[in-house]
Amino acid sequence: MKAFLASWAMFVFVAIPLAAQAPARLPRTADGKPDLNGIWQALNTAAWDLEDHSGALHTPPGQGVVEGGEIPYRPEAIKKKAENFAGREKYDLAETACYMPGVPRAMYMPYPFGIIQTPKLIEMNFTFAHARRNIIADGTPHPDGFPDFWMGDSRGRWEGDTLVVDVKNLDERTWLDHAGNYHSDALHVVERYTIIDPTHIQYEATLEDPKVFTRPWKINMILYKILDKNAKILEYECVYYLQDEKYGNAKPVVVSK
Amino acid sequence: MKIIATVMFAFVTVSLAEAQEQKWVAPRTSDDHPDMQGAWARRGTRIQEANGPVSPLGEFSSTGQPYPTIFNTGVATALDRATLAVQKTGVVDPADRVLPWRPEADAARREFIRHMIPPASLQYVEPTARCVLPGPVDGDDRSPFFIVQHPGSFVLAYEYNHVTRVIYTDGRSHVGKKLRFFMGDSIGRWESDTLVVDTTNFNDKTSLAQTIPYHSEELHTAERFTRVSPNLIEYQLTLEDPKLFTRPIKVAGYFAAAPKDTEPMEFACAEGSQTLPNVFGIEFAPTR
Repeated sequence: MKAFLASWAMFVFVAIPLAAQAPARLPRTADGKPDLNGIWQALNTAAWDLEDHSGALHTPPGQGVVEGGEIPYRPEAIKKKAENFAGREKYDLAETACYMPGVPRAMYMPYPFGIIQTPKLIEMNFTFAHARRNIIADGTPHPDGFPDFWMGDSRGRWEGDTLVVDVKNLDERTWLDHAGNYHSDALHVVERYTIIDPTHIQYEATLEDPKVFTRPWKINMILYKILDKNAKILEYECVYYLQDEKYGNAKPVVVSK
Repeated sequence: MKIIATVMFAFVTVSLAEAQEQKWVAPRTSDDHPDMQGAWARRGTRIQEANGPVSPLGEFSSTGQPYPTIFNTGVATALDRATLAVQKTGVVDPADRVLPWRPEADAARREFIRHMIPPASLQYVEPTARCVLPGPVDGDDRSPFFIVQHPGSFVLAYEYNHVTRVIYTDGRSHVGKKLRFFMGDSIGRWESDTLVVDTTNFNDKTSLAQTIPYHSEELHTAERFTRVSPNLIEYQLTLEDPKLFTRPIKVAGYFAAAPKDTEPMEFACAEGSQTLPNVFGIEFAPTR
């Protein structure tokens, strides 16, 4: 028995350094980049509230994902956040109208999303609202004069083995979570996707918005790869279900000519 | 002299095209299938039947122009132009475009479309006006399509309403029969250099055309994508719905390369759409 323990201990001793070298065994695409292809999902409660929050009806409890604990709101912005929180069951458009959730919120909605990676274009297709991000990675900058988009304009580049995505042109009507954390049209997001082993991505986003926050701040979380056999992104046409609920028994007000 | 030169030029062009046609091979992906990746503009695939009812929606159709193709921008090759000349669009089977309706199904849809303008109730609102996924015959040719390939999958990313079709080519089977989708469940396989896509598991909530406002859950489609020249993908769609038609119908179209540097933009539809609020006088998303 002692011998067994000894060999087991040796195995552990040997195995740990090997595991630490895991990046050498990362799956790679034909162009040598870390392979992010697959179906992923955040397994946390950031979609309900980015900050620490206790459990409440329809709200799972969770530890926050904000570095340093709290979002650095400007003094005048705290009031609006509080109003948003009070009115969240009505005014959180992702939850109440099934609108596209914006960036970074799409990344931690509690539904799977797919990454389809090619050298110059990385597509992300989301279960929620069949939203999609087109991350253009051909070296071009954000175009001048673009309007704001619900999912923003994303430009990607590789820094070593980390995919860095710069996001601008974000529509101010999206929220960062269901707790009413918000931003303005000045939001600038820089995301870093670092694959830490074949089935986990370290996801970090820096949010900068001088109209709302006193300084840039970061969120951090793990994205988990869905490994179930034949997993695929299925349809969740939330808008259609909501239309059925709102208008299913309604009489049109439009009259015949 | 000028006439002679022109005739000679035309002769040379055709010969060149014929010569190229024999040796042109589509570029390959890393897993050795034809590489169809890039930005494309779709033409055709609209189901316009002969002897069909008049569309009550016609006067409400928007008037956007088709998305430009490389043929508009003038840099297509001779082989492209020669290939384009033989591309078919629209209903090709039956050849006379009189669809093989079951009489009772034809009568039912003619009755149905009489209630669409103004809509008698939510169920009579044209599905695309509800901003949901467009189903198997998206007639929108005003925005580009992006094809992305990966070993084991073929992805069609429409700009239109940010529709993404991930077509697995890894040998998996269709999902279980109880699952129903607006876009169906697609699986693909390569038949030589043609991608063949089989789609089942449709719901019955999308339309096939303005005058074919619905189909059944028994709809089953087969699509064929073949890259036939540097800037053209030939497309064929076979639709089978035994509740509507007595036999399958076939529709043809093609994808032509979109102008260089075309990028996918965001086409938001449900976000802010006023169609249903206007029809029913009830707001959809609260405003303050």
